[in-house]
Amino acid sequence: MRLIQQAGEHCEFELSSREKALLQQVLSLYPQIPPGYQPLSKTADAQDPNQRLLDEAMNETRAHSAKAVQNLLADPNRLSRSESEWRLRLSSAELDWLLQVLNDVRVGSWVRLGSPEKPLEALTAENAVHYWALEIAGYFQGGFLEVFDG
Amino acid sequence: MAEIATPELLPGTIQEQEGKSKAELEPGYLVICWNDPVNYMQYVTHVFQKVFGWPKKKAEFHMLQVHEQGKSILARESLEKAEHYVHQLQKHSLHATMERDE
Repeated sequence: MRLIQQAGEHCEFELSSREKALLQQVLSLYPQIPPGYQPLSKTADAQDPNQRLLDEAMNETRAHSAKAVQNLLADPNRLSRSESEWRLRLSSAELDWLLQVLNDVRVGSWVRLGSPEKPLEALTAENAVHYWALEIAGYFQGGFLEVFDG
Repeated sequence: MAEIATPELLPGTIQEQEGKSKAELEPGYLVICWNDPVNYMQYVTHVFQKVFGWPKKKAEFHMLQVHEQGKSILARESLEKAEHYVHQLQKHSLHATMERDE
């Protein structure tokens, strides 16, 4: 994947057919962060009204983003074929949102791997899918973050 | 030359402020971002810029503080604003909490 155009509030990426399929697969895993995973404070408990409000807001955000992911993948104005490659056109807001979604998959997969501090020592039938999602989400995040390098 | 508008306070605004305790209005809450081995440094910088409206240099300073010292205090705010910032940071899957500034 590479950034091929950036003008004003819009940017365009070129993806191979393989990359397009991987992006669709990894986005279909969203959301991955388990509900209630993020505490409002180190001392807050799950019954704290502010914690409950935060959890509700996060659930709403994720439900909204999950629908938006499906819409994005189905929109021919966003993802279209160009000869042998694919073009993904995004506004700045959509790019930011897509980074959020990919990071949820990356961080959530890491949580499901047991939040390891070091790289995995062995792939197993249980952890392979999470490790795959963590790495593939990271691959696309790296590509999208190129936009902010300039 | 454009006219200077007279500030107007809506009735609800005053009521809302009066309804809050002193503790809620005081900037007594710290917004803290904690280190983890999974979030990309470049992504963390981007999120700080977006959520706080900081220039890249300031965002990078705090990102490096998180990375090297394990945490960075990003803001000292009222309860409501601190909650807002924590929610924004957590929406981006960063490890952020708010703590009482004792």
